[in-house]
Amino acid sequence: MSIVIDQPRFAAPVPPEPDPLPHHYLNNKYGILSWLLTVDHKRIGILYLISLTFFFTVGGIAAGLVRINLLSPNGAILTEDEYNRAFTAHGVVMLFLFLIPSIPAVMGNFFIPMMIGAKDLAFPKLNLASWYVYMIGAAFMVWSVLAGGIDTGWTLYPPYSSRYSHTNVTPGAFGVFITGFSSIMTGLNIMVTIHKMRCPGMTWGRLPLFGWALYATSFIQLLGTPVVAITLLLLMVERVAGVGIFDPAIGGDPVLFQHLFWFYSHPAVYIMIVPGMGVISETITCFSRKNVFGYKAVAWSSVGIAVVGFLVWAHHMFVAGISYYAAILFSFLTMLVAVPSAIKVFNWMATLYRGSITFQAPMLFTLAFLVLFTVGGVTGLFLATLGTDIHLHDTYFVVAHFHFVMVGGMVLAYMAALHFWWPKMTGRMYSDFWSRASAIIIFVGFFLTFVPQFVLGYLGMPRRYPNYPPEFQIYNVLSTAGASILGIGYLLPGFYLTLSLFFGEKAPANPWSATGLEWQTPSPPDTFNFDFTPQVVCGPYEYSIGVDQLGRTLPEPPGATGFVNKESNGVG
Amino acid sequence: MVSASHSSVLKHHFDNLEQQHSAERLGMWMFLATEVLFFSGLFVAYTVYRWLYPNEFGFASSHLILWIATVNTVLLITSSLTMTFAIRAAQLGQKTALIRYLLITAALGSGFMILKGFEYYTDVEERLVPGEIFRTEYAKAVEHQKHASASDTDHGDLQHWSAELAKHNAGKEIGQEGYIDPHKIQLFLMFYWIMTGIHGIHILAGLGCIFWLVQQAACNKIPRENYSTVEVVSLYWHLVDMIWLFLMPILYLAGAGMKG
Amino acid sequence: MGSHDHGHNHSVDDPPTLHDIDKPGGVFLVYVVVLVLALVNIGLSASGGLGVIALPVQLAIASVQALFVAWFWMHMRRKDKVVSLTAVTSLFFVFIFYVLVLGDVLTRHRGGL
Repeated sequence: MSIVIDQPRFAAPVPPEPDPLPHHYLNNKYGILSWLLTVDHKRIGILYLISLTFFFTVGGIAAGLVRINLLSPNGAILTEDEYNRAFTAHGVVMLFLFLIPSIPAVMGNFFIPMMIGAKDLAFPKLNLASWYVYMIGAAFMVWSVLAGGIDTGWTLYPPYSSRYSHTNVTPGAFGVFITGFSSIMTGLNIMVTIHKMRCPGMTWGRLPLFGWALYATSFIQLLGTPVVAITLLLLMVERVAGVGIFDPAIGGDPVLFQHLFWFYSHPAVYIMIVPGMGVISETITCFSRKNVFGYKAVAWSSVGIAVVGFLVWAHHMFVAGISYYAAILFSFLTMLVAVPSAIKVFNWMATLYRGSITFQAPMLFTLAFLVLFTVGGVTGLFLATLGTDIHLHDTYFVVAHFHFVMVGGMVLAYMAALHFWWPKMTGRMYSDFWSRASAIIIFVGFFLTFVPQFVLGYLGMPRRYPNYPPEFQIYNVLSTAGASILGIGYLLPGFYLTLSLFFGEKAPANPWSATGLEWQTPSPPDTFNFDFTPQVVCGPYEYSIGVDQLGRTLPEPPGATGFVNKESNGVG
Repeated sequence: MVSASHSSVLKHHFDNLEQQHSAERLGMWMFLATEVLFFSGLFVAYTVYRWLYPNEFGFASSHLILWIATVNTVLLITSSLTMTFAIRAAQLGQKTALIRYLLITAALGSGFMILKGFEYYTDVEERLVPGEIFRTEYAKAVEHQKHASASDTDHGDLQHWSAELAKHNAGKEIGQEGYIDPHKIQLFLMFYWIMTGIHGIHILAGLGCIFWLVQQAACNKIPRENYSTVEVVSLYWHLVDMIWLFLMPILYLAGAGMKG
Repeated sequence: MGSHDHGHNHSVDDPPTLHDIDKPGGVFLVYVVVLVLALVNIGLSASGGLGVIALPVQLAIASVQALFVAWFWMHMRRKDKVVSLTAVTSLFFVFIFYVLVLGDVLTRHRGGL
């Protein structure tokens, strides 16, 4: 397939390598109000970054409590009631306050406009509103936690959540309801931006795969989130009014709640993972210095995951009381949804083949993602199969499966994105040694935490139970040991990334020698991103011929031993 | 290439007005898609229960106040008409006509809400509220029915729903053919209150937007180039109208095909 | 779709899409159609003659009304394909939601896992 490079329609020369700016988006205005009332998509991305980091820590502490409690077969530090609240808090905070916003709200907000050559997202004020809505929703959830928490599990199933639980279900559910609107706003903004604000030359076929991924994610956010909104509303009505549509006393069906709930919550997991897959496409091409294998396949597989992801929700309900026919249908559809994800993994592997690979932190996180996501994905097949699911449902097998894909997959992709784009966002380079070390520590810690959980699940340990037979203790102890290593691995970036803000080397415009439009601006960028209208002349990953999307020669790529050699930063 | 001239309507991050209008319209359409999915949860749940309990749903539906629903339907459809004329006025730069059509639309929408308020008040008076209120009312009617003699005149259409239901169920066991379960009537009523309530909240939000448009137009912030602001609100208003067009038959006309 | 085209000839200040202004007669005609359909819907059901097909008929009438409102009043007849795609896609997923949930509920009497 020949590489197409447009001749520019105008004789305008390609702009030179951008010089660092004295005034950029971070320092052109000072004061807390300039941040709290900003409409700059980059500042809003940073606001989200700070909030998300805080809530990741909160969710992590909840996880720590759960794992420490599981050290002993009868609960080491928490009562049974407290244990229920701890794992519910972990789930609710990690999913709704961290994973779902994560990449779209931070990197999507920051980089989608830059990647398509626009000055901002389509609706900047809506963007700011989405952060405030997120914070208000988070406030309700925090209130419910501080007031004692919820003990229903993050899935909030009635009739326990609607009638029998004595915990703060209503504020917690209301908090989730509110953050859902933030998710919808972000998705809407990104979708309209990608449709209407691409710069000249940026056709759909030249959109970076991160753009395709966020487009697919926004699709899911827009169509799925409203359904959980109405579901939570109905749950809150039932709880507050004492009567509701899921109440069997008046003919209601609790399984109907599960249908309504999972119609969103399954696609929600694709909201979580698809942006991560977009990031992987970016980093894997850059750090193999090679065009992605099968651009169209990877692009359309994002859309495929988004669409088919809406057809599989009842695989969470196989043993809840749905009919045989529904179970068979959903089992089949669930196997189908594995296909587009597998296509991506094959294409990424093929991208690596004969690439010129270096192992900076973003690449280490990327390679770890490939391993862990694949393992997580294939273990999903055991759960999709009806017969084995009867044995494995609601056991630690499920817990291990989703942690492999969500943590081993998504959180690592988030780390990869953070480490890849940190120089652009902050204008600083971080410690090469410590970033690589933390990637390796996270990988090792992760394995140790969650592989024993597959064994536990297979042996029959149910999830959400604080007690277990003594013969399971060894696996639980190994898992908790792994969790502490994982914790250290997550704390390290907190240190070296923060330190880089004060002591890190100033970053050049394109430290990784990447091709995307976002790298053709200074680090950090100006408030309006580009002071010219970018004219895109080729596809997004022309590493092999060494041009960026503006048609300019790429600088010398980073060597195996570190970052870009500043002297050899090529010009135009 | 920076945009050639700077209109006061054109926002900084857009290249030209056409792109801006196009983006605003698409943004509102996408928001409408989320609204459709939001209501769809209710519609799907309703369909499940209606399939399971057709008699109870039919009985309950036939006791809602159909004349109010009819008038409200006419009001809402007419308000969509005037809203469409408002866009036209904005496109032609006719400020007075624009404000006039917006105000008429708001008046019609407010009329809808006032009638709805009256309807809700009447429903509460009639004790058509699921939960304790409904149960007490029905229990009273059952008691009364027990002591009724065969010579009690049939009040026909003026009979209260509880009396009608108690009479219908007299002598029948729960689960027996022809028994209309009062519990499941409460289920229907949940849907009635929740669906019309949420729809009503959307009407109120729409009214708020329309009044904001009136204020904007009065301050000359809606010149011809900015007509798309009116169009965007009208898209939302039309959707709320369309949702009512589906809501009304399933809630108020479900008793059709059953005797009275 | 949406890629900004520098070659396009109108200046920034031209009021766009003037050719897209609705004709009042057309708008009013749609009004009459939608209103009449609403009254038909209510009238048909009040007469009670429909029996078990009442619900599909009512929803069909409502769908026709919605189509008129969307196509004419909401300007779906204009050429922006993304708008039509948005509408169709949302309806498709509502359809999926219905079919798969009802597929479960309607077949439960046969038993489950």
